[in-house]
Amino acid sequence: MSEQIREQVSAFLDGELPISETELLLKRLTRDPELRQSFGRYALIGETLRGTGGASLSLGFAARVNRTIDREPVAPAAPAVRARALRWWKPIAGTAVAAGVAGVALVALQQRAVAPGVTAAPSMVVQNVRLASAVKEPISYTVPAPTAAPAMMAPARLTNYVFAHSKYSVGLGQGNLLSTLLTEDADDAQGAAEGANGNTPRASAAPAVSRDTQTAP
Amino acid sequence: MMRRGSRSRAHWLIPYAAAGVLSLGLGQRSGAADEARDWLEKMNQALASRNYDGTFFHLSEGRVETMRIVHRVKAGRVTERLQSLDGSGREFVRNNDELTCFLPDQHTVLVEPRQDHGPFLGSLPRFGADVDEFYVIQSLPASRVLGRPARVIAVNPKDQYRFGYRLWLDENTAMPLKTQLCDAHGQVIEQILFARLEMPESIADADLAPAVRTEGMHWVRQGPTSEPAAAALSAYRAAELPPGFHLTVSGAQTLGGASVPAEHLVYSDGLATVSVFVEPDAAAQASTTATPSAQPEPPMEGLARVGSGFAFSTVVQGHQVTAVGEVPAQTVEFIAHSVKSFPPPAH
Repeated sequence: MSEQIREQVSAFLDGELPISETELLLKRLTRDPELRQSFGRYALIGETLRGTGGASLSLGFAARVNRTIDREPVAPAAPAVRARALRWWKPIAGTAVAAGVAGVALVALQQRAVAPGVTAAPSMVVQNVRLASAVKEPISYTVPAPTAAPAMMAPARLTNYVFAHSKYSVGLGQGNLLSTLLTEDADDAQGAAEGANGNTPRASAAPAVSRDTQTAP
Repeated sequence: MMRRGSRSRAHWLIPYAAAGVLSLGLGQRSGAADEARDWLEKMNQALASRNYDGTFFHLSEGRVETMRIVHRVKAGRVTERLQSLDGSGREFVRNNDELTCFLPDQHTVLVEPRQDHGPFLGSLPRFGADVDEFYVIQSLPASRVLGRPARVIAVNPKDQYRFGYRLWLDENTAMPLKTQLCDAHGQVIEQILFARLEMPESIADADLAPAVRTEGMHWVRQGPTSEPAAAALSAYRAAELPPGFHLTVSGAQTLGGASVPAEHLVYSDGLATVSVFVEPDAAAQASTTATPSAQPEPPMEGLARVGSGFAFSTVVQGHQVTAVGEVPAQTVEFIAHSVKSFPPPAH
């Protein structure tokens, strides 16, 4: 992210970017997936620093993180997820989880903070971000990375459940769930591009086709 | 057919005044909280009744998706379109009758009839006494979003069985310019942030038409099933629930790919909603299905992430039970594990 764009993003997140510049930024972000990722991380850091995330990060803590970062190479840490959270949806009767079997619903579980009460993201990546608007000195930060493994799979059955549920979902959660369905594929594509750890069970994200399937004329 | 549970009816019709009296009696309600509620109500009205066309970022776990929302109310008819701008080409289009999900990458179109008419961006329900018991609603210091002054309202859960929200509402229109989904510790799980929001007098049909070409795509219809089929399954209920959750809807639902309808139970605490699907297990389905060539799906067990929420699946008495909702993992797990069969109602 160039300095200019960083300033734009910062102003945008502060709600102070002029409309004309916001439109330019939006165009850039829509075109550039890498910039979107940077933007996402930056937004997250912004929230953390502002304390609107509820957990205001003291600079003392930031400094400790910083020192840790200085000692460590830029590498993702091993996920430290509770064992219970690492279970997969799997055929109970089957002896093994067969990857890629069409029609078998397998869900790659998000290998992150899924256990109740576990909020710290185990998969961390080092980002060097200057937060000019928030603190005087540039500091380095540790933020949760977009998961290296595919974040989630939306196999047929899960998609169908979510779709059927969304009708009854009141509250803002509905928008969130539907947004999720709109973007599942991005996860798939990303996972495929990254090799998906080699052993991640995968399933077609295509919704199961019912018997009353019609083909459009 | 879907039947509204009696608790549900009670929930939606609880007089606002009664809720107020209850809360005042307990001394828990302040003028500021009332004002926050009023703003949430204004937001609901704006989301449901105004025309708007906006582009927003959906931020989750460091990922960003850009989406466009178009919402039109014209002659009492609501049409809404939610479109991914980042490549998948997926779109939802909804009108008064049905929700259509275009998945061009899957060559599939999912269609589901709808009974409710809530906007895609979601509105919050009226806050009754039941919501008060499990959430704290408060005003936070004013802020700015998109260069506009914004009211900031927090809806905080009192325990870890539900998520909370923080909302930045446009001072002039009460539209949510920014919303955050938070866990019980206040950590942001997901965020929606508008980069552009217009509220035009009128919206052209073209802005609501899907950009997807549907030639050659599979059309899959899901939906409620006839009453007799529902009766056979209606013996399943959650024996225990997390505090505040109660059954609001029960019925039968044919899911895409299924030969036998699933029972669909909806539990809510007034704000968060969990669906429970109870399906005959794969072996039973295989023996009754008319298409033996269809490969039966094996039972599933475990937890899966669904956007900001979770799904948990288990097997109860030979039935596949799946709970899904925009709630913490422990909530879907709790509910799925407590599902049991009960003797059918005696009438």
